[in-house]
Amino acid sequence: MDGTAEQPTQAEPPQITRRWDGDALFRTLVVLTGISVLIVLGAIITVMVTGGWKAFSTFGPSFFVTAIWNPVTQHFGAVAPVFGTLASSFLGLVIAVPLAFGTAFWLTALAPPAISSVIGMAVQLLAAVPSIIFGMWGFFVLVPVMAHYVQPTARHMFGHVPVLSALVSGAPFGTGLLTAGLVLAVMVVPSITAVMRDVFVSMPTVLRESAYGLGATRWEVMRQVVLPWSRQGVVGGIVLGMGRAMGETMAVTFVIGDSNHIGWSLFAPANTIASLIALEFPESPAGSLKLSSLMALGAILMAISFVTLWVSRIFLARGEARAGKRS
Amino acid sequence: MNENTMQAMPSADVAAEASASAVSGRPIAIQVNNLDFYYGKTHALHNITLGFPERSVTGMIGPSGCGKSTLLRVLNRMYDLYPGQRATGEVLFSGQNILGSGLDLNALRSRVGMVFQKPTPFPMSIYDNIAFGIRLHERVSRSEMDGRVEDALRRVALWPEVKDRLQASATALSGGQQQRLCIARTIAVRPEVILLDEPTSALDPVSTARIEELLDELKTEFTIAIVTHNMQQAARCADQVAFFYLGELVEVDSTARMFTAPRESRTQDYITGRFG
Repeated sequence: MDGTAEQPTQAEPPQITRRWDGDALFRTLVVLTGISVLIVLGAIITVMVTGGWKAFSTFGPSFFVTAIWNPVTQHFGAVAPVFGTLASSFLGLVIAVPLAFGTAFWLTALAPPAISSVIGMAVQLLAAVPSIIFGMWGFFVLVPVMAHYVQPTARHMFGHVPVLSALVSGAPFGTGLLTAGLVLAVMVVPSITAVMRDVFVSMPTVLRESAYGLGATRWEVMRQVVLPWSRQGVVGGIVLGMGRAMGETMAVTFVIGDSNHIGWSLFAPANTIASLIALEFPESPAGSLKLSSLMALGAILMAISFVTLWVSRIFLARGEARAGKRS
Repeated sequence: MNENTMQAMPSADVAAEASASAVSGRPIAIQVNNLDFYYGKTHALHNITLGFPERSVTGMIGPSGCGKSTLLRVLNRMYDLYPGQRATGEVLFSGQNILGSGLDLNALRSRVGMVFQKPTPFPMSIYDNIAFGIRLHERVSRSEMDGRVEDALRRVALWPEVKDRLQASATALSGGQQQRLCIARTIAVRPEVILLDEPTSALDPVSTARIEELLDELKTEFTIAIVTHNMQQAARCADQVAFFYLGELVEVDSTARMFTAPRESRTQDYITGRFG
């Protein structure tokens, strides 16, 4: 302060102290948005758990091991929809992952660029199709096909083979686990393909060319260099698809058959957590045990999603350790 | 097929005689005749004719974008990976025009190996990096594979540094070690020709010197083509030097004559640092 007083004629030096604190305001805003994620997540968990508390406390651990869902006797259990959710998602992934991998491999390694970009765009458009459309397609097209052709053929071929006969048993409704799995597969293929394509493309060109330079075929390059290199992204894409499949509501509700049934048959009607909630929620009065049971199911679905994510991370970490840091 | 070969041989001989003076009469391993190369509509190489003498080092110099790397990528048909890139003319390798159709590209690339500007270790162990190329083309027993891996690593003087950690990830090696690993990986496949695309431009001077020493040993067994931006490197390593400018081969001659008495003024200007 004294220094400036001694040189009154000189222009004032630029101020070092901030005049308007836009910086701090912005920082506060950003911190708030970050924290809001935690708040929302915490709120959701709180609502689901407290909402489902009545069911949890009424049935105790038996809620997790009984398959009964009977509004008349007021007896509810989570096993059937949990089974349906896992089974339909698993079937969907089993069908979708090879398709997605093949598509991504073809798009990145074999297809002429013009065709690749067209198909690539079509894949993205497929991802943007609302799930209700897939539900209608599944109901009006896939269900009749399953009922009239697929299941009778499957029964004809495997109906008398031990073990396999269990997979194809049941009346040919057309709705059921496999139909739901097929619809889910079509729905998750685009997102898995998109992720896989991105990670394949992001591999450095020189690394790819090095493998070709040693005389490797396109498949050998994919299998031995690209896949190990992009393992993390590939598993990430699959988990993404799995998350989508487990939470998918509308399309599955159309084709799953709405039956709280657990069995080996791929063609038996079943239920998923999401479709059961969608179907029963409107008929559940506030404060009822049924509503609480649905909330409890929602909490379970969230827990399953979290566990899936966690397990996939463990797999990824193990894979990393095996491939890389063995020294 | 036979007729083709018969036709091919004389032109190779003529070319061999023409350029034999450059490297003390060695036979030609790869002969490029009237090669034109296109990236889509861009005409990148104009009517190149050049012979690569067997078991000697051909240095390719010239300013960026002059086409020297492009020529290298023709020699193992790496350009084939990319639609829209095409070559016309003739590239004769063991009596066959490798630009022709019906060629087993994977077999060609196992005989014409390539090392890149940046080290490109695969995301696997040191051992598997070497074994990778061998497994692609041969079925060898575990003990023979061990021998081949050790041999390749010894040839690039990497064995003492890595012999206790063959199962460690190759990506943990230093840049110079990685590049030597890539050279070992290439020679493990037992090619006849090794193409090097600015192999030391990402390395420090000490690592560079080691690679250059290595080239001296490798040329007793392999035909080597090296693209370099470094004139001193070309002078140190190459037996013959080819100077490219704007997609044309301006001049090719023995290293000594190229750097002391070039015939073309453009060569003179480039090697004295007047442009480029």
